[in-house]
Amino acid sequence: MLEIVRQQMICIVAPGWGGGAEIPKQLHDALDALLEDVAVVHFASIGLLPALAGAPNQQPVLVLELAVEEGLRPYDLLYRLVYHPDGAMWTLFGAMVAPHVAVPTAKDKEQLLNQLMSWHSIAAGGFVGARDRSVRQIKMESDLLDQTRIEARKLKPKYSNDRTAFALALARWAYANPRFEWAVKPAPRSYWRGKGASIGAKLAYPVAAIVLWFVVLGIVWALPRAYNWFFGEPGHVGRAIEDAVTKTSECLLTMSWHGLLAFALIAFLVWLFLVPLPAQFVSWRRWLNSVQQELDRPTQTLSSLATYAGGWLIGVPLLLAVAACALAYTVAPLAYAVAPDYMINVVEPKLPKLTGLQIVGIAVVAIAAVLCIGALFYRLNRRFKKLSEQFFHPLEDDVPRAQQIHPSIERCEADLVDGTQHMFSLTELRGPPWWSAWCIRAALRIVTFAGRVFFTQGWLGNAPGIHFGHWHIIDNGRRFLFCSNYDGNFGGYLDDFINGAAVGTTLAWRWTELRPRAPALPEQPGIAKPRSFPPTRFVVFRGVKCELRFKSYARDSMLPHLYHFDACNRTVDQINLATGLRDALFGERNEKNDDLIMRVIET
Amino acid sequence: MKLSTYEPDALPPGVRRLSYGLFCWLNRHTTVLRAFGALLRHWPSVGGRLGLAARASAVRDVLTRTRSFSNTAHAANMVSGDYLIGMDPGPTYSADRDLVHARLAALDVPADSDAEAQQRIKALSGRGVGAFDLIDDYLMWVVFHAMRPLFGAATGAVVAGSATASAQGDVDEGLQRQYMLEIRYVAGQLLAGSLATLDLRRRAEACGDALQARIDRVSGPIGAAWGVKSASEDIERNAVGLAWISHPVTVQSGALIVQELLGRAKVYEELRSKAGRLGEPGVWTDPEFRKIVRNHVLELMRFRPIFPLLARDVPRDTEMKTGARYNAGCPGGGKVSLLSIAALFDPSAVPQSGRFCPDRDWGKNDALRYLMFGYGTRQCPARDHAVEILTSALIGLLTLPRLQLARGEGKAIAYDGPLMLRMRMRTT
Repeated sequence: MLEIVRQQMICIVAPGWGGGAEIPKQLHDALDALLEDVAVVHFASIGLLPALAGAPNQQPVLVLELAVEEGLRPYDLLYRLVYHPDGAMWTLFGAMVAPHVAVPTAKDKEQLLNQLMSWHSIAAGGFVGARDRSVRQIKMESDLLDQTRIEARKLKPKYSNDRTAFALALARWAYANPRFEWAVKPAPRSYWRGKGASIGAKLAYPVAAIVLWFVVLGIVWALPRAYNWFFGEPGHVGRAIEDAVTKTSECLLTMSWHGLLAFALIAFLVWLFLVPLPAQFVSWRRWLNSVQQELDRPTQTLSSLATYAGGWLIGVPLLLAVAACALAYTVAPLAYAVAPDYMINVVEPKLPKLTGLQIVGIAVVAIAAVLCIGALFYRLNRRFKKLSEQFFHPLEDDVPRAQQIHPSIERCEADLVDGTQHMFSLTELRGPPWWSAWCIRAALRIVTFAGRVFFTQGWLGNAPGIHFGHWHIIDNGRRFLFCSNYDGNFGGYLDDFINGAAVGTTLAWRWTELRPRAPALPEQPGIAKPRSFPPTRFVVFRGVKCELRFKSYARDSMLPHLYHFDACNRTVDQINLATGLRDALFGERNEKNDDLIMRVIET
Repeated sequence: MKLSTYEPDALPPGVRRLSYGLFCWLNRHTTVLRAFGALLRHWPSVGGRLGLAARASAVRDVLTRTRSFSNTAHAANMVSGDYLIGMDPGPTYSADRDLVHARLAALDVPADSDAEAQQRIKALSGRGVGAFDLIDDYLMWVVFHAMRPLFGAATGAVVAGSATASAQGDVDEGLQRQYMLEIRYVAGQLLAGSLATLDLRRRAEACGDALQARIDRVSGPIGAAWGVKSASEDIERNAVGLAWISHPVTVQSGALIVQELLGRAKVYEELRSKAGRLGEPGVWTDPEFRKIVRNHVLELMRFRPIFPLLARDVPRDTEMKTGARYNAGCPGGGKVSLLSIAALFDPSAVPQSGRFCPDRDWGKNDALRYLMFGYGTRQCPARDHAVEILTSALIGLLTLPRLQLARGEGKAIAYDGPLMLRMRMRTT
């Protein structure tokens, strides 16, 4: 399921670029024509990466980023691009595959295709904002939006404030217009945005998996009995098999129940601590907020250090203890099956014998104690104000220097000021690269899964305006490339990440660092001073919340693009608005659709 | 011109892959389909409730009632635009059909197919290599050259996708191969149907777009070669349709019959010994031998039809004669499915239907012999040409030393959904 998302965002990383820091105008136009004609590419960009330190070829590395429609396999896409009669791909890459061949034969093109396939990298993780829409659909819906607005201006004097009649007149106009015949069919939606949008549908998969598991165990348990019933009492071998199957299936069944119960209990406790208790008790809510705030605090203070230390001393052991209890409870049936005497005679006497009432009593006392401690600290804070100020006072400066932006980056941003912005960011993996790469891949799979299944309305968490954001681990796991096509400006975009998708962004970048590197070409930015990603706490806290340091880090990691293609040049909001208008104009006439039409034409 | 605007998958993840996997498996294991068909023939009312026709009479009935059971069921899977096979009868349909008949009249089969088969066999023998790919090294070319006159002088331009002078005449073989791959995937979508996974559909759409763009660039030379003065869009529609439907389906059929023949060692040996007795050039010139091989081709196609399942749209409420006591109701807006493979094995219409019998006397049911090409007025107009091309291809293979699937080097047959992508053969 995730591969279909990852395949939408491809980077071709081709070493040995012999050209300059600019794409010739003729090639620029040829690429535009090619991508327009193929009509499945939403965004394309070309950039230059500095060669990897120690690589035999120290020429720059050309990166072609392609953000394409869903469902296309890289081979099919590259095949279409390479074999296009205009030959723009050969002009771009030909010299890197077969120098001095101006007019390629079918064999040359095959060689290029194979080379591009060996250079290509599908995203390790990514997010698509305007999902389920093809380039052609976006263009057609944008046209519908534009035409509707023009028509609305004409009809405005006639209908004035009568919203229902106004919407009805627009719907009639749209229906009668043969140009919009295609729009009668509702905009297509994939499962997670359509029938699978409800929580129930999302829960159906794990529930079905659990039920299926129990059914399989039940069948395995029943099989020998059914055999005996059908063919009569078994012999020695048959009885031994029956015993083994019965014991194994019963053990697995009990372990599964225990595991399920332990999971349910942990889920209940998490829910209790995060939802009802903060809702009921102000001191609990305040305590929870302050813990999160201190862990996320961008500058070092005594308070944040104390919280961090407290986390290690109390939080982590407590969580480990809960996990150990859950694990022990889950595997206990196996231990009883393997060594029943040891469990009964040695382990059981050591276990505390508590009734349910006693356990609930202990839990209530623990909660009350946390509430009291929270209230006590709150009072102490208010009573000893000076001490409190010192406690929360920053111990370090945020960013030690003023941020310098390379002119090439500024020029790129200025070029795209009226359209969708673009970003290339290149960092190195820190520590043992295999470990960092593994962690990043795992984190990115989670982000991609969440984006695919839960964040289906164009927002990643609370971050809007992302068209295609994707991460690639390149150069055998040594470098980390991030490409993004987004609305607005760079500062606002990072603010959205910091405030809206902090955990995901921290997870994606926390295993990276910036090492000194020479620019790919003299006109390009390099890195003079090594730096790490802002420090994190417990993997997911802090990190991007160190706003200035994160922005400075992101800025310094950026590389300019030499070429940028935007097939539709619409913001995510405009795309969503146009799709909404299509469904509203051609849907049934009701208050909701009328209101949507009015809002669209007034926006 | 049809533009592909893709539709995301509205089915829950995993469901499509599962159903498509099952569909492909059934396509490859026609014995299972035949067994299922036998059950439905026995209890036709059950088939009726499921919207399935299995008896020969029922299938024939549905295929002849073209107004009640429409060919538009194919339209959704024709990724490169509308064409005859998916149209309802009408002026466009009639004009296009006339054009196709005119183009088919230009074919010179079996002379062309014989010539290419002989040339390819000679090359394969001369190469001295025991293993070859039946599809890529043989069938693809035999069919391509037999069908060259479809585009006449514009063939080079169509293959190169360019109307320039360099694209006239014989173009680079690599370009020809690329063209044939492109049309294979477009045709593959018709086989895979609405169950196809998103990536397969998207590949077919990408190839369909490329094919349309290719034809769009050379519609002038095609019109000139055809000697017609139709509107450019009419030429494009027919050229695109002719390109993708003629070649890949015949190639796939050829691969299927060879697969079936190799599974019948005795039949294969018998044919080979006959070919051996005649020797070169007798195998190509002896009309009696050609007739025997032709009968074998048809019988092999009966066992391995390329479309074992067919679908038809039901435009308005009607009833379907399934052979049960009561007709089955077919609500308008729905679909019916035809188990044509079950009809081809219906003992009430085909004597000794379970036996492999190329010389069977079909009697009054002779038309049923060609059911794999459709039936009645909507039957494939290139039926006889296709059989002749496949006969030529099979004669060529019979002149080679004994063939078998090259199992030692990975899988001998590579599938791509229901399509056969590769079929590695070895001479022994």
